[in-house]
Amino acid sequence: MSAMKTRDVEMEPETEIHRKTDCRAPSPGEAAGPESPTSAVPLLSLSLSADYSNKPGVLRNLNLEMQPGEILGLVGESGSGKSTLALSILRLLDLKGGKMSGSILLKGRELTTLPESEMRSIRGRDIGLILQSPMSSLNPALKIGTQMYETWRAHQPGSRKQCTPRFLEILHSLNLDADEKFLNRKPAQLSVGQAQRVLIAMAVLHRPSLLLADECTSSLDLITQKEVLNIFRQLSRDMGTGILFISHDLLAVSALCHRIAILRSGELVEVGLTREILNRPSQPYTQQLVNALPVPESSQQ
Amino acid sequence: MKAGDRLIGSSAEVRIKRRSSPCVLLVLIAFCFSACSRPAQTTGELRVTIKSDPKTFNPLMAEDDSSDIVRYLTGGVLIRVNRKTQENQPELATSWTIDENGRRITLNLRPGIKFSDGTDFTAEDAVATLKAALDPNLHSPKGDAFRAGGAATVEAHRKDKISIEFEHPIAGLERLFDEIAISPSRMAGKADSSVVLGPFSVGEQKAGEYVLLRRNPYYWKRDDSGHQLPYLNAVRLYVLSNRDTELIRFRQGDIQLINSMSPDLYEQLHSEDASAARDLGPSVEPEELWFNEVRKSPLPEYKKNWLRSRNFRRAMSMAINRADLARVALRGHATPSIGIVSPANRFWFNQNLQPTPYDPNGALELLKQDGFRKDGDVLKDKAGHPVSFSLITNAGNKPRERMGSLVQQDLQQIGITVNFIPLDFPSIIERVTRTFNYDAVLLGFTNVDLDPNAQMNVWLSSADLHEWNPAQKIPETQWEAEIDKYMRAQASTLDRKQRKLAFDRVQEIAAEESPTIHLVDKNALVAVSPRVKNADPVVLTPQTYWNIEYLSLGK
Amino acid sequence: MSAARWAAVALLAAVFLIALAANLFAPAPYAKQFRQDLNHPPTQQYPLGTDELGRDRLSRLLYGMRISLLLAPAAALLSTLLAAIVGGAGAYIGGVWDRLTNVVINLFLSLPWLFLLLTVRALLPLDVPALTSVVITFALLGTLGWAASARIVAATVRDLRNSEFVLQARASGCPSLRLLLRHVLPNVKPILIAQFWISVPLFILTEANLGMLGLGVTEPLPSWGNLLRELENYGALAHRPWLWAPLISLVLVMSLFQFILSGEEYAS
Repeated sequence: MSAMKTRDVEMEPETEIHRKTDCRAPSPGEAAGPESPTSAVPLLSLSLSADYSNKPGVLRNLNLEMQPGEILGLVGESGSGKSTLALSILRLLDLKGGKMSGSILLKGRELTTLPESEMRSIRGRDIGLILQSPMSSLNPALKIGTQMYETWRAHQPGSRKQCTPRFLEILHSLNLDADEKFLNRKPAQLSVGQAQRVLIAMAVLHRPSLLLADECTSSLDLITQKEVLNIFRQLSRDMGTGILFISHDLLAVSALCHRIAILRSGELVEVGLTREILNRPSQPYTQQLVNALPVPESSQQ
Repeated sequence: MKAGDRLIGSSAEVRIKRRSSPCVLLVLIAFCFSACSRPAQTTGELRVTIKSDPKTFNPLMAEDDSSDIVRYLTGGVLIRVNRKTQENQPELATSWTIDENGRRITLNLRPGIKFSDGTDFTAEDAVATLKAALDPNLHSPKGDAFRAGGAATVEAHRKDKISIEFEHPIAGLERLFDEIAISPSRMAGKADSSVVLGPFSVGEQKAGEYVLLRRNPYYWKRDDSGHQLPYLNAVRLYVLSNRDTELIRFRQGDIQLINSMSPDLYEQLHSEDASAARDLGPSVEPEELWFNEVRKSPLPEYKKNWLRSRNFRRAMSMAINRADLARVALRGHATPSIGIVSPANRFWFNQNLQPTPYDPNGALELLKQDGFRKDGDVLKDKAGHPVSFSLITNAGNKPRERMGSLVQQDLQQIGITVNFIPLDFPSIIERVTRTFNYDAVLLGFTNVDLDPNAQMNVWLSSADLHEWNPAQKIPETQWEAEIDKYMRAQASTLDRKQRKLAFDRVQEIAAEESPTIHLVDKNALVAVSPRVKNADPVVLTPQTYWNIEYLSLGK
Repeated sequence: MSAARWAAVALLAAVFLIALAANLFAPAPYAKQFRQDLNHPPTQQYPLGTDELGRDRLSRLLYGMRISLLLAPAAALLSTLLAAIVGGAGAYIGGVWDRLTNVVINLFLSLPWLFLLLTVRALLPLDVPALTSVVITFALLGTLGWAASARIVAATVRDLRNSEFVLQARASGCPSLRLLLRHVLPNVKPILIAQFWISVPLFILTEANLGMLGLGVTEPLPSWGNLLRELENYGALAHRPWLWAPLISLVLVMSLFQFILSGEEYAS
């Protein structure tokens, strides 16, 4: 029963999103994909490897470029190194006991050699991160307003009072009907969808040029998931935010992303435009993934 | 110094045992138990407690209380000190003679006696046991007093006659045999109380739980009607250190006798069952307070001057209300001490001594002679130091802690601040015997032997147990020199009257100088179940079952 | 605040005031021995009867509360702070420091305290006033009693350090110190408060047991702890119910504290 229902719901956004991506304003990502090396400075240019002390070779010589405003989907099974990549870009891998080597160029600027204090000022301001579980990503002891203010204070001056209108504005833009009372709530008093939107609001508070979304839709119900995908699309379109959308869910990825990169056992096996990947997967692993999708079958019908 | 003395600590009670040697007398006391009720046959198992597992079953090596109890209940001895009459009584020796000015004792052995395994007891066994006790390599604590007599020869003259000859005379020699349990010659020095001449032998032991003693089927003693003793089939010694639990198990009927009860538990039992709780009157267990008089102690000079002053010590003695200590701290189960010997020690107590009166004003008068004066509520010495000292005692003994509080309050009356500090026992011993970092100490003692020879190691100024100022090379004071003289005098004569005169003099000097202030003599408090027949508890250890062979159990 | 909480605050304040002004409220000096009235049942003269030395129990309870109410919370505060600093800092910094903290905590927990305290007692002079001895004791409890709390704090901080919201805060560029103060600390606070409230009665009782080692409140000074030791004599409690007073008052005061404080927590 529930499996049937799931399939129904899943199919719809897929087709709809495809149409949207195709029809509406062609995204900058598609125009300046990796296939067009002639473009201006890429938003992100990676060439890195990562190891954990007890598990070497989690990422092996991974090369990837993203253009400003591009939404890039990073797909792979769990344990393939997706989250490691996100943390590597933020240079936070050591928190998990990992070591990264190689190069990370953000708008042409090398991050790996930056002193920690400068790296800190890049986190949150130039690169935003959204994690998988909205509930555990919010500090249970702090009010929503306080958490947002803390995020603000990390990079910008201003009193709490001065910031409040801006917080509300951002929350509104994320379809969250927030008022000052809302800001006084604690995370436990929010729904999962509300919490995820608060997290997104915090991640984009400083209008970062790159957003790392690590499995951020996988714990959501499908309706909320759809709304969040819409928000990402909107961010990319309206603010020109580049989004690295990390997921094991090829369905959600193909609904949102301009390009898709397939990661397997720490190596990129295939990178290409979403349509190409879906229609003509060149690698056997990609084929497996694509074949596992329910959507193409229903499309064929 | 006699080596037979020791310090024993346990959570429930602190005891410093004093014991040892000579006194001359040929006493043959026929034991009369005509009033005893007799069961027709052997009955039941008597259950009592010991505080810890016995450290050894070798009667010559017994040192801790539990081992000593096993030794007393299993060992057959040549001469016994009757715990009731306090006199010597023939056991395995039917008679003895002391000659050569106390250097030689000849004992006639009782014929026809068998060990608990059925083998015959001969002079050879007695000789072997005594030789083992005298063997310096064995270090038997029971032989210490004998070895003080110098080189000794032990000989068997016939199958039933032995003699020992020492280099020097030993006063009160025959009393020493009370602690020498005779073992088969083949086991001499390494006996384990399984083959014995006493009423019971060690049957089985479960560490931490019990020791079971079984009736000796070949025990030689018979009651008046010729019935073989002991009446009991077995004695079970439960290992139990908690005195509250002991009382609970007594109430439940699980154990039948309790020795040396605390006044608190005694009162508790007495309020429920007045017939089971028995106050035997003054024992030979004094509570004492003494001041640190060690010249090289780390105390400030002015304080040493107080503590080394006779007037100061006598004033303290007068300012303490002994009657209140007995009534309040020991709940009436004690008697204010008169001197260093309890009146319960009938022969040696000096009848001429007068009790120290409770007289705070008299105390202040004495202190004035030393230049002390009251400044408001505070007593100050000549140099203006407020008089304050610490009083330590062993923690966990409630009556003693109450005594400390009372002493504190009494001395507050004359303007002295006492900081009363209960400490763990090892810390006390450390301070009192080694670091000498204390002002005053309150402790209780158990005198195992009534003879003054047992106290040589306390009263001689050179002795290690000379409490207030041990191991002096030469006597530091005139009066200590005098005490040394009289203690040596009583030890060097065999004339009981002269010994008594000398020891009376020691008691008078001690009363005058008050180096140790005897506060109260505790009463012996015991519990006896109505099931136990022929019980006749006495103040000397082992109070309730000193006559174990005559005890029996009713329904 | 609700009326109930106000009432609790008022009651607690009253208890504190009465205890602090024990010299005004106590019917007799705490050390005065009425030696003719031993173990007296309650009367007008002795509202809670007298103890085995004839001292007025109510007076001793009031003075004992004063000492314990002032010193036990102070010691608990000290030990909780030490637990927060040692356990919290080590676990927060992580790595070698965390392991080092763990070793120190385990060492502290496995030390033979009895012998250590005996050594401390041996080092302290004997002839000190009772009050000095009390203060030393509680200071000792405070400086030595933090390890168990520190272990709990460290475990909590370790979890927090690895939590997603701390990662999230880091990823948003939150500076390290601010991360500690604004993100970690508020989540440790309930633990610290709980540890504090566990420590207070614990220290009150520990102080009583230290009396056995010559530390702690010495005669004739009363403390809540050494008054509670009389309850060991359970045989006497049945027909002398007034002996329960120290325990009842302790439970009452501790409950009031917790009631008021837990209320504050929910309210914020």
